[in-house]
Amino acid sequence: MKESTLQLINYIMILALLVTLALHLAMQAFLGVNGYADALSYQTAISRYRDALSVSLLTILLIAATYHGLFGLRNILLEWRQGRSWHGVVTLTTVGLAVVMLGWGMRTIVLAFGGV
Amino acid sequence: MSDAIVSTEKAKAPKKDLITTQVKWGFRPPRNLEKLALLAQRVSGVGILAYLFFHIFVTGTIVGGPDGVPGGEDVFSGLMGMLFNPVAHIGELLVVVGATFHGINGIRVMLLELTRLVGHPLRPDYPYKTQMLGKGQQSILLTAMLMAGLSAIAGVFILFLGAA
Repeated sequence: MKESTLQLINYIMILALLVTLALHLAMQAFLGVNGYADALSYQTAISRYRDALSVSLLTILLIAATYHGLFGLRNILLEWRQGRSWHGVVTLTTVGLAVVMLGWGMRTIVLAFGGV
Repeated sequence: MSDAIVSTEKAKAPKKDLITTQVKWGFRPPRNLEKLALLAQRVSGVGILAYLFFHIFVTGTIVGGPDGVPGGEDVFSGLMGMLFNPVAHIGELLVVVGATFHGINGIRVMLLELTRLVGHPLRPDYPYKTQMLGKGQQSILLTAMLMAGLSAIAGVFILFLGAA
């Protein structure tokens, strides 16, 4: 995929991230919870994973944060050193990390939403 | 006409580790706020990414999967109880402050790339003045720092003083 396309996707992910992260932080602090300790309780957390709207927000946040974070890391590493093999190693590593993070995050979301 | 002297020795770039390269660049003259903002953007970004990696696995304990991975109410509550302490709260506070700065400063960088915020190019007349940080950019950068400070105060109230 062209680097310009990757950057365009990154812009879209940033916009999604700005909205979903702000909401996620608010939901841990004051939105629908009675303090931070309440936000960390099992009942509050699992109820969010079973609510369709909340789980959609978490899914978008997971995808946007993983893409933006790993794309940023890839840019830093590619700026540090150059070369075809280094480019390949960095891209493969970031794709591998993305698979692990998205895979585990989606596993949690799917299983919790399904009531496991 | 004599032949040109050509060195056959392989060019060697000095090998420096990633952190040294980044930090030295940030503080090397000419120093300006924009370079420091980019350094802070990178440091906060990598820090948040590291936090996200562990956050995904910690919150993953909310479900006890059919795959035999330990999880469920007891494991999740135990883990959250373990992480509910002042040291972990300081880490969470740093994440919130870093995310706030990273977000607002990131908007500034996006506007630089996509709009005319960078300003019109001018002839470099003596005494040379950097054009990089114009009024618009400075305002956003100051907003990012101010919001990071405010989020730190809000974080202290929410995490340490139990405010809802």
